[in-house]
Amino acid sequence: MVDHLPNLGREKEMLHAMGFSSIDDLFSDIPDSVKRESPLDLPPPQTEEEIWADAQRLLGANVAINSRPNFLGAGLYENFVPSMVAAMATRGEFLTAYTPYQPEVSQGMLQALWEFQTMISELVALPVSNVSMYDASTAAAEALNCAVRVNNRKATQKNVVYVTKWLPEHRLSVIENYTMGGDIEIRTLDWNEDGMIDLVEAEVAAGACAVYVEQPNPFGVIDENLSHLKQIIGENTALIVGVNATSLGVIEAPGNWGADIVVGEGQAFGIGATAGGPLYGIFACTDKYIRQMPGRIVGKTFDDNGADAFTLTLSTREQHIRRHKATSNICSNETLIALMGGMHMALLGPMGLEKLACRNAAACQVTMAGVLSLDGIELLFNDVGAYNEFTVVLPSSAESALAHLDGLGVNGGLALCDVMVDAEDNWLHITATDQTTSDDVEALVSGLKSWLSSLVAGVAA
Amino acid sequence: MSDIFAFDGALEAGYAQPAPLLSDAEAIAGIPESLRRKSLPRWPRASEPELVRHFTWLSRRNFGIDTGFYPLGSCTMKHNPRVNEKIVQLAGMNDIHPLASESHLQGLMAIFYEMQEMLAHCAGMDSVTLQPVAGAQGEFAAIRCIQEFHRSKGETNRDKVIVPDSAHGTNPASAAMCGYQIIEIPSQEDGRLDLDALRAVVGDDTAAMMVTNPSTLGIFEPEIAEAAEIVHDAGGQMYYDGANFNAILGKTSPGLMGFDAVHYNLHKTFSQPHGGGGPGSGPIGVKSHLAEYLPKPVVARHEDEGGLDGWSYVWEDPANSIGKVQQWHGNSGAVVRAWAFYRRYGRDLEKMSEHAVLNANYLRHRILNPDADVKAKIPAMPVDGAPAKVVKHEFTLSMSPVKDATGVSGKDVAKRLLDYGYMAPTLYFPMIVPECLMVEPTETESKEVLDKFAEDFLTILTEDPELVKTAPHTTDVSRVDEVWAARNLVLRHSLGE
Repeated sequence: MVDHLPNLGREKEMLHAMGFSSIDDLFSDIPDSVKRESPLDLPPPQTEEEIWADAQRLLGANVAINSRPNFLGAGLYENFVPSMVAAMATRGEFLTAYTPYQPEVSQGMLQALWEFQTMISELVALPVSNVSMYDASTAAAEALNCAVRVNNRKATQKNVVYVTKWLPEHRLSVIENYTMGGDIEIRTLDWNEDGMIDLVEAEVAAGACAVYVEQPNPFGVIDENLSHLKQIIGENTALIVGVNATSLGVIEAPGNWGADIVVGEGQAFGIGATAGGPLYGIFACTDKYIRQMPGRIVGKTFDDNGADAFTLTLSTREQHIRRHKATSNICSNETLIALMGGMHMALLGPMGLEKLACRNAAACQVTMAGVLSLDGIELLFNDVGAYNEFTVVLPSSAESALAHLDGLGVNGGLALCDVMVDAEDNWLHITATDQTTSDDVEALVSGLKSWLSSLVAGVAA
Repeated sequence: MSDIFAFDGALEAGYAQPAPLLSDAEAIAGIPESLRRKSLPRWPRASEPELVRHFTWLSRRNFGIDTGFYPLGSCTMKHNPRVNEKIVQLAGMNDIHPLASESHLQGLMAIFYEMQEMLAHCAGMDSVTLQPVAGAQGEFAAIRCIQEFHRSKGETNRDKVIVPDSAHGTNPASAAMCGYQIIEIPSQEDGRLDLDALRAVVGDDTAAMMVTNPSTLGIFEPEIAEAAEIVHDAGGQMYYDGANFNAILGKTSPGLMGFDAVHYNLHKTFSQPHGGGGPGSGPIGVKSHLAEYLPKPVVARHEDEGGLDGWSYVWEDPANSIGKVQQWHGNSGAVVRAWAFYRRYGRDLEKMSEHAVLNANYLRHRILNPDADVKAKIPAMPVDGAPAKVVKHEFTLSMSPVKDATGVSGKDVAKRLLDYGYMAPTLYFPMIVPECLMVEPTETESKEVLDKFAEDFLTILTEDPELVKTAPHTTDVSRVDEVWAARNLVLRHSLGE
């Protein structure tokens, strides 16, 4: 029997009060021609105890990244979220609320989101943040649409945007889908041999509506050239920068080197990798883009008695008011995860952020040194900065290395050819985070060493 | 007021972390000097005890389903079972990576497969993807599939999408993002689909029609099959907005009504908590002719003796996939919660819909048919937003007669309901009903709650109009000045500047 229906057994009483005799009367408006003829062919209801047992069994069959040495990241990071976050965010008043359309009874969520906006604004050094996009990819895509709406009139390259070379498919494909309707042409910005944007080539982007780059880039390279890009593309071409959120504890905020819009994945603040969702996309911009930005935003105001109050604002951009002329179709977003992110950020504080970033950077250095100590493995790009990930070239396919490591209980990273069409099959992307230990690094290095030996043995045989 | 930025503890306040693997100076050696951060963000400097109080204080200034009755029409604010939250905290959910090898994700993929099959069955569709993370993204993804379907046949002239004027705002917004021109058709006087208006605009430039059924007025469209025939005859596709799916499980299905594609709102029908605005989850289901275009990947399985319950699960890319709309596999956490919710009902999902409809009709009856002595005290009664013998899971009221008689608007009544401890119904939507309140009680409210709400609602209609017009009076803040907010745009804390 189902246990969450308070009126089970009282149907007759309620029906009689309305002058009906059966539940079927309430469905008499559905024409027979479209009525289902047989009941749902589904299993019987289960109790909470049965569901919990089966959930443990099924999800227990997954391999959690924190259950073994893990070097798989690539935009979604193994992390540790302080216990306070889930304890506070799952309070029913937050968890079970809808979008705060009635500000008089939603001040708590509205204020928390306004605090989140402030913390993101400080993190990226831009004046305005919304309350979240779905993820980093939709944030990047909607940023491009936003920039076209703002800049197209003055652009000398109408409806044209440039994106950095080597974007993974899970970013590029989302961008393509989201920009297609606006007939936006996506061109590619080339790199030089150091793995950085080619600043001479970048002049082609001047006069376009926007340029989208990432810092660090998809191979993990910290691109020093990016800080000169804004000067090259000019005032009326938006510089959109995708960031690794925690890296901004040690890497300069893009708002301080010319970014007009900053997007990125917020996940490392607030929630585990959670199979890739729910996460939250960061979206922050300069004042110029406010009225064309997507998503919800909270403003401070007053109530009738002059007391401080918060409310959703600029909703005339949004679909429920503007319908087909809206700046985006986004309605439900990732508020609760952004709230969790805000809680995590608040608990870290400025020094905690820096410490967290240093832990990531240290783990990256140690892992890189360990891997590069092996003969036969080299960096794809030499003499460049890295924050928590890097790409190496292997003497054989990354897939075979990963399979070997998996057999030893190590997640060795990502075969880049799995997510990038043009990547070579021997490029291995390795991520170390604040959760990486010396033992983890040792396991990776010795695993790679035995894999290298097996290659030699294989050749000998 | 608790101000998080006023916490001004030591710079090191907050969360203590283990020592890094290298000293800080060594760690940042890998960061080019020109790009090192010069000044840290001015985040709060607070410790856990202070923050727990701050967020607890904030939570008490927020209204959720757990706080009280939440009859927000179109949003299906039903109870969120707590075991679902416990399940997603398991390491096998919270700490798994979407790029991990399939062998590391078999449990999740088994749940995905079960959900794909269940959702397809309930909606009368052939294939389902769980990737879209919100209803609006589901609309967008499905319209993109329809767009590719037409392009594959060389029918690039189909550049229009038809929506009724009662549609959710996301419908035209999503179709416009795909590049379509929107043709809005008026509803009939009684709020139902106008087939003549449809016939007048449909043609060989029609890509699709987007319909919500039951409609946003809470009534079942009796001529939906005819509408589908008209659109199909013109070569267009029928899209079902699943926002109101809660009303019809086990009774009918979008497939039976003639739809080709549908999105589901797992945060509505299947109780993923809405979290103050999200996350949601908006899977889409399609008939077989659209399946090859679905976002990639979806889960497939084959028999395998050594596999999980005899199956091995794999990611599979539909042949002519539109690609991706979300970067990974969607809001997996929402899908797993929805799975746990579904398991609680199983085939009794039909009973769930019956009770959602029972509660809506009962509440509508109680509000519109007060006892004679109560009615005598009410200057003017609201009227049905759309005439109907029965409604489905929600209903609309037009407060126009009340406004005409006393000056009290729908918004005033909505705000006054906050004083009585209720969330307000959806206000001024659908736009075709003047002074509209849209009420959706859901199946998880008891008869007592519905009786009391009807009683309080009617009491408000007898109150001094000035009292109602200046409501709310007992909330944390009084009526909020939204105009000032939009004019002045104070979008972040000044931090003393």
